[in-house]
Amino acid sequence: MAEIVIDGITYSFDGKPKLLDFILSKDKDVPFFCYHPSMSAPANCRMCMVKVGQYVKNRETGDYELDDQGERQIRWFPKLQTSCNMDMMDDMIVHTHETDDLVKRAHKDTLEMILINHPLDCPICDQAGECPLQIQTYKYGPEGSRFEVKKQHKPKHVQLGPRVTLDAERCINCTRCTRFTDEISQSHQLTITRRGDKNHPTTAPGTEFDDPYSMNTIDLCPVGALTSTDFRFKARVWEMNQTPGLDITNGKGVNVDLWTRDNVVLRITPRHNPHVNEYWMTDKGRDAIHLYNEERLSTPAIRLHPKDISLVMSSWDNAYQTTQEIVESTDPKQILVLGSPYASVEENGAWMQFSEAILKQLPSYTTHIEKGSGDGFLLVDDQAPNTHGCELLGLKKRTKAAFKKAVAEAKVILSLHDDYIERGWLSEEEIKGKTWIYFGTNHTQMAKAATLTIPITCAVEHTASYINVDQRIQRTYPAKETKYTNRRLDLEMSEGRLDRFGTKFDHWVNEDHKVDCKPLWEIVGDLSLLWGHTLSYRHGRDVLDALGSKIPALEGVTYQAMDDQRGLLLTLSETQEASS
Amino acid sequence: MSQKSSDNGASLSQNGTSAYKFTKEQLAEIEVLKTKYPEVQAVTLPVLWMAQDTFGHVDPEVQRLVAQTLDLPESHVHGVAEFYTQYFKEPKGKHVLDVCTCLSCHLCGGMDILGYLENKLGIKAGETTPDGQFTLQEAECLGACGYAPMMQITNDVYVNHLTPEKVDRVLDQLASGQTPDFESIPMPLVSTTSNNKAAGGSDE
Ligand code: SF4
Ligand code: SF4
Ligand code: FES
Ligand code: FES
Repeated sequence: MAEIVIDGITYSFDGKPKLLDFILSKDKDVPFFCYHPSMSAPANCRMCMVKVGQYVKNRETGDYELDDQGERQIRWFPKLQTSCNMDMMDDMIVHTHETDDLVKRAHKDTLEMILINHPLDCPICDQAGECPLQIQTYKYGPEGSRFEVKKQHKPKHVQLGPRVTLDAERCINCTRCTRFTDEISQSHQLTITRRGDKNHPTTAPGTEFDDPYSMNTIDLCPVGALTSTDFRFKARVWEMNQTPGLDITNGKGVNVDLWTRDNVVLRITPRHNPHVNEYWMTDKGRDAIHLYNEERLSTPAIRLHPKDISLVMSSWDNAYQTTQEIVESTDPKQILVLGSPYASVEENGAWMQFSEAILKQLPSYTTHIEKGSGDGFLLVDDQAPNTHGCELLGLKKRTKAAFKKAVAEAKVILSLHDDYIERGWLSEEEIKGKTWIYFGTNHTQMAKAATLTIPITCAVEHTASYINVDQRIQRTYPAKETKYTNRRLDLEMSEGRLDRFGTKFDHWVNEDHKVDCKPLWEIVGDLSLLWGHTLSYRHGRDVLDALGSKIPALEGVTYQAMDDQRGLLLTLSETQEASS
Repeated sequence: MSQKSSDNGASLSQNGTSAYKFTKEQLAEIEVLKTKYPEVQAVTLPVLWMAQDTFGHVDPEVQRLVAQTLDLPESHVHGVAEFYTQYFKEPKGKHVLDVCTCLSCHLCGGMDILGYLENKLGIKAGETTPDGQFTLQEAECLGACGYAPMMQITNDVYVNHLTPEKVDRVLDQLASGQTPDFESIPMPLVSTTSNNKAAGGSDE
């Protein structure tokens, strides 16, 4: 095995790792900007300098050459080297800034150089607080600058595309963004224009940066040059609270971070998961903030008379009792219960148990596949996050025709999540005269057409798991409080600075951002009490445990295991596969 | 996965047809060029030159033609064209005067020459005379610091040791369709040695 000595410590390694990657993996620090582990390393920011040498060996004998003191002779590279593109070799000696003053000096000078034309408008820069340039300058930068001349001006707030805004003055020309469109999304939409102190990224004239993955460049950009058109100036990074979650806008199950402030999801960024999405996510997935914050169903609502155009606010008790009355006054054969691939495993599981215990039927579901919308990367045909979950639970799958027929024959329908009207599967005409009880999260068209709406928690308000298109089960965490949860008491929720120090008497805390909704398992638990059953689940974990004892594939599947292994790959049985 | 929306390019003609076209011979030549480099990207430079020689410039529409001809991303061709000042990204005058104002030329009066030309032509640096004859530009070091101040004419001839009189003469020559005279300038090193020789001779 090959060996390398870094700052006096010997490490052994296999293969040809890049030096920077290796040093970072040893919990040591080397400042860098342009390097990214999943892209090529052009070594153009010159920040990651280290001193590198090699022990001298006698060509004939293969023995180490020794100096007068009997120490091994070292042949140093004539200049400092960039560690990001340096292949490690046996017998290398490396000095980082920790042990070498020249390296320290190189870091200082590189930063002074990079900052020559930098606007330094951190106080109004979106990147401040999570800016590598800011951080590295604090750690390794010079005290001041010797540059006293007017700075070079470059284009500001350039709309590169519908979602990305460029401030060229802040750009340090690391080319991470252009490499992303060349190597990862392969849309080749970005290039660097001009040169010297005038260069910055741009698109070809007459084209715009509308790559379906364009916003990844915002996360990649080591400075505040590329910013989100939507999120710009909305919040300082340190005011937000960061909670891991899942992208539920399609079946890929991309891992994300949800950034909330005062219970509003302000932005969504990808979370690294080598098994699913690497470092990336779709632009569409970031749009889910609107789904989580806006047009939310809050407090049950009821249509008092079939002819009424809108629903009126009701209460939870009233909603439960109305549900009971409706169900009890209807022939069970005329009741249709619909599960949903948009809801989690736990929700569908609890729903199924409720339906089987009280309504004596297995819920059915329909898939939402749009053929041709997948691209082999993170966009997939399956529009719903948990189609495999429904399959695994054994819900009855219906084709569009079978579904329409079932709806036509039913008098009372209890449905979850899906907006069949928006999807064009049902017209409002077709559900006229039916009693539709809708358990959903948003004011969808389905909610507007329903008789009774019962608001349930969405993916950012509860802990629940989803099975993606590759049959990997992963879970969410609550990021947003509801009217009934409290971050200080719920140890699963994290607290941001404002969450911790704000009170409802401050102007920055707004109770209105908490939605009056409950997890579905709690709702069906409360409902089942009316029939004398006790399906009491307080937490998604309770449902998952219960399911684990019934479904072999879910045996031993726990949140802990999902967390430890970045999701668990399930093996769905043959029959379930075939039906997908 | 490449989903480029080129339909909003106001300056570009619709449906991908360009007002500019390479001739059959040129296309054949491009095919030959392609065989000379390991990767087609490298052919961008000679094809841009070919385009500039043919159309007088490589504006966005010409860049697009080059990209389509070589089947390369438009952004790549754009980046290359923008990188080199020798490619004209917009139509220029018949003669392009690149006056060097970089350090050595600056010290030897490059700015004065630029000012003289501005007054004489009645335009500012970066502009073209209304008759389309001359475009005046400031250039960075053209590698002829030893003969400062200097200028380059339309990516071609260098005119060195500029004085207002010399500038007048060059402009007249250009206007009458002649190329400015080629000046052979002895290397400073050569004259030093001959001086030494002369000194040595007097010693005798
Ligand atoms: S990019 Fe970083 S260093 Fe530059 S202004 Fe923004 S926060 Fe400050
Ligand atoms: S915009 Fe950002 S990512 Fe792109 S080259 Fe500049 S600094 Fe790098
Ligand atoms: S990270 Fe090595 S040169 Fe930029
Ligand atoms: S400075 Fe003018 S040619 Fe070098």
